[in-house]
Amino acid sequence: MIVSQRDDFRSLYRTMLALGMAAVVILVLGFLFFLRFAPPGQATGLRAHVQGVYAYDPHTSKVHGPASTSFPPDQPFAARVDWSSLPPTVTVGAHWYSSLEQELGGVAPRAAGDLARQGTLVTETLPRSGTENLPGEYTMVVVRYANGRAVELLARTSVLVVRKG
Amino acid sequence: MEAAYRHPWRPARYWIAGLIGVAVLLVIVASSILAILFRQVPARGTIFGLPAVGLVVAATVFGVRALHDHDLASRLRDLYRAGVLLGIGLLLWLLVVDVFTFTQAAGPAVAVVCALACVPTTSIGLFVVRRLDRYEKEPWRLVMVAVAWGAIVSTSLVVWVETIWDSVASRTLVPGPALDVSTAYSAGISEEVAKGLAVLLLYLVMRDEFDDVVDGIVYGAAVGLGFNFMESVTYMTHVYAVFSAEGPGQAAFAAASQWYSRQVLSLFFGHATYSALVGAGIGLARQLRRRRHRVLVILSGFLAAIAAHFAWDAWVAYFPISSSPFALVEMHLRTVFMQGPFTSMVLVLLAMGLQVEGNALGRQLIVEAASNQGAVLPDEIPVLVRPWQRFRARLRAFGRGGLAGYRRLHRLQRAQLELAMERWHRERNEIDEPLAAEEELRRRVLALRQAAWTPSP
Repeated sequence: MIVSQRDDFRSLYRTMLALGMAAVVILVLGFLFFLRFAPPGQATGLRAHVQGVYAYDPHTSKVHGPASTSFPPDQPFAARVDWSSLPPTVTVGAHWYSSLEQELGGVAPRAAGDLARQGTLVTETLPRSGTENLPGEYTMVVVRYANGRAVELLARTSVLVVRKG
Repeated sequence: MEAAYRHPWRPARYWIAGLIGVAVLLVIVASSILAILFRQVPARGTIFGLPAVGLVVAATVFGVRALHDHDLASRLRDLYRAGVLLGIGLLLWLLVVDVFTFTQAAGPAVAVVCALACVPTTSIGLFVVRRLDRYEKEPWRLVMVAVAWGAIVSTSLVVWVETIWDSVASRTLVPGPALDVSTAYSAGISEEVAKGLAVLLLYLVMRDEFDDVVDGIVYGAAVGLGFNFMESVTYMTHVYAVFSAEGPGQAAFAAASQWYSRQVLSLFFGHATYSALVGAGIGLARQLRRRRHRVLVILSGFLAAIAAHFAWDAWVAYFPISSSPFALVEMHLRTVFMQGPFTSMVLVLLAMGLQVEGNALGRQLIVEAASNQGAVLPDEIPVLVRPWQRFRARLRAFGRGGLAGYRRLHRLQRAQLELAMERWHRERNEIDEPLAAEEELRRRVLALRQAAWTPSP
């Protein structure tokens, strides 16, 4: 049995401090990572206006009925965005996300003027063909692009898919 | 009778603990009021969770009173009250989580089934964690208090912080890596601070049952397991509700996947590891003399826990699981690769702590044996400092005197190690109790030795 004459906490103390320093490095790396995808100085103050989310017919590619904030699982839906509320040369895109954070379709980045001319709807696609939307919150975002990367959030809206019965 | 502790009685740490407790309650009350004002469904849970928190606080009071009660009858009565209050608090909070946060669609029956599924795995986790302390195991009552705080109080604190943080972040950040990192900071900071508070309170209030870095790791891991239990139930019921649209089989499979991921694969890798890092820092601070050193190690523990949690949440998406037949292998490898280093560090700290503790106890047992007071005999020392030898000695006692003999020797060994621990803390000037407490422990050891040698009637 090894019996030391005094308790030696130096190794434990140094190990804890080393861990603390490693932790600081990880957290700083995380912050740099954050800055890479959310670089400062990108805010333009632009805001896109979402007119509403409507029931959508994939066969006619048109929306129908009044705007709603909840839909049954078997009802596809689409958002109508007032693209003309944005400067026509600004590159923008839009995306739908499920409550499981899966991206479910949207609009690829294009000039806002083009989207306004075509009256583009932001449609969500079903998770798998032939299935229904899973219950939960679905979020649509409109984002501005710069150098091929989404850099600024211009609008955000959410709807609920509620289970039948 | 002379107090070893240089302050007279009720040292400043009781006041600090009281302030932390009051701050926790105020935060929860404030969050409940905010929840009503802002009408956010997830946060609204806290107003209904307030009675649950109150019950846990009351249970803690009875539990602490029981610890200091020398009369067996009143100690049992207080423990019974604490157990009942904890049970009601736990059930109430389960109900809150079920009804008011995520699981309205899943229903209470699903929540109960999910909770029951998590009980055996969490129990195994607690059993393993408690056995990490090879010399002086922590009392189950305190371990369970740590679990309850992790499951109920910490989760209550987290709900409002994460709701507000995520609400602001999702309105300003583009979905993707930046939002993921923001969410990871939110979860890492709020959850680790909320869990760490429980360990900090134990450190401040239950100093006589919080000996060193090993105890810190045990209590920290217990808090983490409690938090993981509640989080598992929440996620299981949530995915069950989401996938129930695809049929009960699909929903049950989704819930079972969550159970495996959180209750089997990540049982020791996730929250248990994070909180154990906090506990290691606090446990080490317990034995450091300089305030600057104590503050630094506590801070390091918190930072390590936050970083470990953050790293997983922020970068797990960069290790996607394929849909190939190797998906299960990939899932395990990802956990080992991303969380393994942090869990390894906990094990390294544990091994170092056990070595220091074992050396110190061995030294104190030698000194105690040399005092010729009869509490520890020289021949017993090599047995007492080795867990396996202690167990073999108990087995021999079982052979001679059956279960009663086994228990008698178990109690004797435990009391001898408690005496050595008391001596160690006294030598280091780390305890509140007067010298009479050590004499009382010695008398207890002698009485137990007498009982161990007396054959059962």
